[in-house]
Amino acid sequence: MTNPICVQEQQLRGTDLLEKWDVAQEWGFDGIELRGRGEGAFATRMPDLLRAAAAGVVMPTICVEMSHFLGAFDLDLRRDAIRQMSDQLRGIGELGGRGAMTPASWGMFSRRLPPFEPPRSPEEDREVLLEGLAELGEVAAAAGVMLFLEPLNRYEDHMVNTLADAASLIQELGMPSVRIGADTYHMNIEEADPARSLLEAGEYIGHVQASDSNRLEPGAGHVDWALVGSTLRAIGYDGPVAIESRLSGPAEEALPRVPPFLRRYL
Amino acid sequence: MTSGLEPAATRVLVSNWRGRYTVPAGGLYPHQWSWDSAFIAIGLRHLSPRRAQQELDSLFSAQWADGRLPHIVFSPTRNDYSPGASFWRSGDVAGAPPVATSGLIQPANHAWAALLVHQADEQESRRRRFLDRAYPSLVRWHDYLSTRRSSPDRLAVVLHPWESGTDNSPLWDDPLSRVRATVTEIPRPDLEHAPSSERPSNAEYGKYLTIAAAYRDTGYDDADAGLLFRVEDPLSTALWARSEFALAEIAEQVGAPGEHHRDRARALTMALDELWDGELGCYLARDLRTGERQRHRTVNGLAPLLLPDLPHADELLATLRSGSFALGRAVMVPSADLTAPTFDRSRYWRGPSWFNIAWLLAMALLERGERAAARELERQMGRLAVASGFAEYVDPWTGEPRGTLSFSWTAALALDLERRFRDQ
Repeated sequence: MTNPICVQEQQLRGTDLLEKWDVAQEWGFDGIELRGRGEGAFATRMPDLLRAAAAGVVMPTICVEMSHFLGAFDLDLRRDAIRQMSDQLRGIGELGGRGAMTPASWGMFSRRLPPFEPPRSPEEDREVLLEGLAELGEVAAAAGVMLFLEPLNRYEDHMVNTLADAASLIQELGMPSVRIGADTYHMNIEEADPARSLLEAGEYIGHVQASDSNRLEPGAGHVDWALVGSTLRAIGYDGPVAIESRLSGPAEEALPRVPPFLRRYL
Repeated sequence: MTSGLEPAATRVLVSNWRGRYTVPAGGLYPHQWSWDSAFIAIGLRHLSPRRAQQELDSLFSAQWADGRLPHIVFSPTRNDYSPGASFWRSGDVAGAPPVATSGLIQPANHAWAALLVHQADEQESRRRRFLDRAYPSLVRWHDYLSTRRSSPDRLAVVLHPWESGTDNSPLWDDPLSRVRATVTEIPRPDLEHAPSSERPSNAEYGKYLTIAAAYRDTGYDDADAGLLFRVEDPLSTALWARSEFALAEIAEQVGAPGEHHRDRARALTMALDELWDGELGCYLARDLRTGERQRHRTVNGLAPLLLPDLPHADELLATLRSGSFALGRAVMVPSADLTAPTFDRSRYWRGPSWFNIAWLLAMALLERGERAAARELERQMGRLAVASGFAEYVDPWTGEPRGTLSFSWTAALALDLERRFRDQ
């Protein structure tokens, strides 16, 4: 059992995905994580993506790249986010991938920054999230893929910060098509013991993004990667590990170091 | 390779981690124990070399000024273990660390563990200056043993049965029989986690507390003539010698001379001859208060097999294979002579098989070229660890779990041995 190590498409030079895939493979990666833009942009990419898939480009997952998400305070933004995510879920299903990842929100509100009290109560937050997740969970199930809910650190989101937060929603939802997308950078901030949290949420983990303690590529900070690898093995996680990082140097120098580094532990 | 061992062992070790160290088991043993931590680090190094280093760093941070590594470092958040911090009163002793500890010690397996932890990822070890930090602590620890805990014959002396790690071994029966229990109030929170038939008895506990209180009341003065228990132990001596060999390698890694450590290890090996009993084919303990050898075959007396150039190795291997320990026929290695009247298949160190002992003897057998026998112990350990839910110890004939479950060193050492065979 080995986890495919993936790199996000924006880190790869090339005019199209086939060129990017050549670079990714040259740098030792096993797959590409797509970025899912909003405003219908992802749906318009589908013909290109299908051609890339037919040519053998490995693209198991999508990471959303939008300005609003399923937990938005504004109903219209929320509805739009669910529409866009639905496109992405159906799209990754057509591509034969595993799923698409979204946070509850990003950059909308932080309880650690003024004005500290959000306009919605925690109970209302939960209701909104459960409603959105249920809708997306059905789309995902119909497309044969998974929606990955990503806990973000306290400064980037006020609703889902820990793996346990996400697990609690998923438990209540009871849909196998909604899983946790765990990101080691956020875990390093939010989890008192990242290994223990991974173990406890183990059955709900559907995707893993790897980034070091300083948001740079794995190996550039102080995350205990040996422990991350041991714990992922212990919970039986055999899905992709996608690098979602800023880089400590030029991509062609920083990224080729990552696969051999992570392989020591995965 | 035992199916499912690694994930299950990882679960135990991750769950029992407490931020800086691993508890031996969540319920029965809620603090850091000295030789447990060293055994645990030996397995933990395969999951996280960094955590394995922290495990030992945590113990070293509780070292006394006299060099002793205390047998328990208390967690300030738990007071449900007996005897707890309020019994030992380490804070009243000059030179005790800021954290509460017991005043006893346990066998010196730490330098050996530190070397193995270093070898798990030498680059990470050097980056974190692990050995540079560990070496001076280990030197002071071994100097403490040498200056304060050596008998006139240069053997390791235990001042309490608990210091041997083999608390109720038959080796301590006679020395204990000479102790009159003056402590009568005996809290037994341990019995909430394991049946009384699998733990030391109340009568033994009364004496344990009496001996410990007497030592404490001298201010933990190892030379005090009034100490109630003073016994030479072959297990403590063998592990110290083994660790002294490891300390020589550590010294050389940090650019210090190592030969005097090897000299000390060889001297300890030679000194063990004083404890050899040709008739029983085993090393014995000797009560320094009476001068009498304690004529029981136990795993303490088999431990010298870990030492190179041991004069009686062949006889000791024959004893291991004899009806007393039934290697290959019994489950792992019984802690005490299967044929002796003192044998008790359920009670702690009077018969049950322990995973740390199986690991030690597997290491000894491997190093002596007895690969098949070592391999068989590895298979048994892996299978029993998983099947028993990582029992503290097991019935030596049936493998039924005894004591507590999710026991950290059981997970750590089964994992380590599996890795050794897998990687070879």
